[in-house]
Order: sequence, then structure tokens, then C-alpha cells
Amino acid sequence: MIQSLPYLFLGLLLLAVLGWWVWDAIIHKSTAELLTPRHLVGLRSAGARRDVGDRIFGSQDWDFVLRETPSEIHRMFQRERTVLALAWLRRTRLRTSQVMHAHVAVARKSEDLQIGMELKLALSYLLFLILCNSLVGWVWLRGPVRTRKIVGQTLQWAAQLRRAFEQLMARVDPASCRVVGTNFNHGTVRN
Amino acid sequence: MLTQILWWTANFAEVLLLARSIQGKFVKRYPTFYFYLGSVLIVSLLRFAVFTFRPGSYPAFYWYTQYLAATVGYAVILEIYSQIFKKCRGAVRIANGLLLCILAAVILNIVAGAVSGSAWPPGETMAALERDMRALQSVLLFVIIALLAYYRVPIGRNLIGIVVGYSFYVATSVMSLGFGSLPGFGSRPEWRSVSPVAYLATLSIWCFTLWSYHANPEPGPESKIERDYKFLSEQTKRILSRARSYLKMGGEL
Repeated sequence: MIQSLPYLFLGLLLLAVLGWWVWDAIIHKSTAELLTPRHLVGLRSAGARRDVGDRIFGSQDWDFVLRETPSEIHRMFQRERTVLALAWLRRTRLRTSQVMHAHVAVARKSEDLQIGMELKLALSYLLFLILCNSLVGWVWLRGPVRTRKIVGQTLQWAAQLRRAFEQLMARVDPASCRVVGTNFNHGTVRN
Repeated sequence: MLTQILWWTANFAEVLLLARSIQGKFVKRYPTFYFYLGSVLIVSLLRFAVFTFRPGSYPAFYWYTQYLAATVGYAVILEIYSQIFKKCRGAVRIANGLLLCILAAVILNIVAGAVSGSAWPPGETMAALERDMRALQSVLLFVIIALLAYYRVPIGRNLIGIVVGYSFYVATSVMSLGFGSLPGFGSRPEWRSVSPVAYLATLSIWCFTLWSYHANPEPGPESKIERDYKFLSEQTKRILSRARSYLKMGGEL
């Protein structure tokens, strides 16, 4: 029985990666689309979305609820905010993934691609995903109010990430990015 | 009875696929794949003849021809590889590197087995040899599919069908041969139906995706950034390391 386990594992591994690829190919659109102005238009509302993040993780709503309402409402508020916070974090993760997808869409055609650099990037991205998912788990366990500081740092990071991505895109297509740049809000994050 | 139905249905599907490819004039687009299909069909009919007229020679004939089909399968993988990465010069470099690593690992394994005097891998039986050949195929396909998914290489419906169908068949073959070689499983009649059922499922996938010709999507015009990989990779690296450090900082607060 034990000698068959590697073959079973190998078969399952191949089926798993096949399933992942088929799912990914059907669900996601071609990453080439990421480089088109249509997607850059979507970035225009990024400032507004960050403000939503500030509001979700900010303390003013919680302070008000704590002061003015009974304990039942506190629990309800925490529950609903957790759902909102998780949705927001997942969207933030998706946006970072888009940066990586834009990179691989270009790298796959690049003649001077460096294998070492690609492996480093892939590992770095994997590590980022692990950290980001840990944060999602942390919020899920403790709620958004108790993880304000951690998420505050994430908000700051998200803003910088967008800025870096914007610079990257400006090199690709300066005309489209000029519009995006004027709509970005790089305000500080309130903890 | 079930085995007979599966056998005739599979033959019919193979004839149908070959006829469609000749009628649609796309047999030349995937010559190795259709050679594989044709050889499997011929082998299947030859097996039927041997089973009918010389039943005593059937087991040996079965395993030798099975070994042949697995060998031609490597040519199918080579065709998949060359068709998929034809226009992806970056991804092909990574694929070459990884496949060379696999080749080196296999050669090292064989040499180590020969030097240590332990069992020479081409096993005690033909079934074990086929199982090992399929296992290596599954590793190669794993690398190709992982790169396809990671680099999101755009490919057409025909190639998707070939990759999905063949990978599914190889994965089920590896598992069924692994378990089938065990004393408790090999003798069970229901276990012997696993491989024909999996092959029929594979043929269904191929019939669905290879009914007509679908060209691979052409890559769009090269943008300015595509000529500057170094700049791009440095930017992405910086973005990722910054993202990670911020998350780490957050975790420590």
C-alpha cells in the first residue's frame, strides 16, 4: 500500500493543478486586458475605495456605537464590520495580484527573461499572499476594530502599492495614466 | 459486457476524431497527437484480432503495445510543449530550465540505481514500467500546466482540449497503475474498468474540443514595456517586497 502512495499523490497533484488551471482560465480574463486603458479607468475610483477602508477600520463608528447603544448592537456591529472588512481585504489582495499578473503577462514574452529573478519574484509573491491571507484570518478571528493598527499599515501599503503601480503604468502608457494620476488620493491613514 | 461497450465506444470516438480532423483539414496542425490517436486505434484493433485468434499470446501482446502507446505519449507531450510555448519566449526559457532539471533528476536516479546495484528501475513487470513512464509524463505535464497557469499563456480551444484530456488520462493511469499493481486491487474486476472509463472520458473531452479547428490566439502588438524586462522585474520586485514589509510591520504592532 505504501509504495502506491507516491503514484496516488502524483496523480492527485496533476489533477489539482489541471483543475486550478481550468478554473483560472475560465474565471479570469486574459491578463493582457490589464494593460488596456479600460482597466486603468477602474483605478480612478481607488481613492474612494481607500476611504471606504479607512471608514471600515476606523474607530469613530465603533466609539459612537460603544457610547450610544446596548451590547446587542455592539455584537451586531462587530459582525457586520467583519464581513465588510474581509470583503475589502480580499479586494485589496486582488488588486495586488493584478500587479503580478501584469508582470507575468509581459515576462512570458520577454526574450531576456532571467530565471533566477522570476523564481525570486514568484517566491516573493507567494510570501505576500501568505501574509495577506494571514491578515484576513486575523480579522476574521478578532474583528476589524481590534486589528485597526495592523490594517492601518495595510492601508498605507496599499496606497504605496497603487502609487508604484501607477508609476509602472505611466511608463507603459503615459497618456492614459495622466487621468488616473489626478484622481489618486494619497492621504495619510488614520489609526 | 461493460468492457465490450467501453471498448467499441472508444474505437468509434477515435474514428470520429480522426475523420473530423481529416475532413476539417486540421490533422496537419497537430500531427503527433493524431498519430497517437491513430496508433491507439490500430493497436486496439490488433489486440482484438490477437484476442480472437491467438488468446494465449494476448497478455504479452497487450503489455508490449501498452508500452508503445506510453512511448508515443511522450511525443504528444513534446507537441503540446512546442505548440504552447511557440510564441512565449520568456516562458519557454523557464520551461526549458525546469524540464532540464527533471531530465537530470531522472538520469541521476537511474545512475544511482545502477551504481548501488539496487533494482534497475524498469521494474519487475511491464505494468511497473508503464506506471513509471506515466509517472514521469505526469511530472512533465505538471510543469507545463503550472507554467501555463502562472504565465496565463493564451491558448486555443483545441490545445486546451489536448492538454486537459491527455493530462486527465495520464493522472488516472498513474493512480490506477499504482493501485492496480497491488495484489488486493489488481484482481478486482471493477478496478480494471477504471482505465477504460477514464480513457472514454478523455475521448469525450477531445470530441468536444477538437470537433473543429480553433487557432491559438495571436499575441497582440508588442508594447514599449515588453522590451524592458529588467525594468519591469525590478519594479515588480520592489512592489512585492514593499508589500511584504508593510504587512510584517503591521503584524508586529
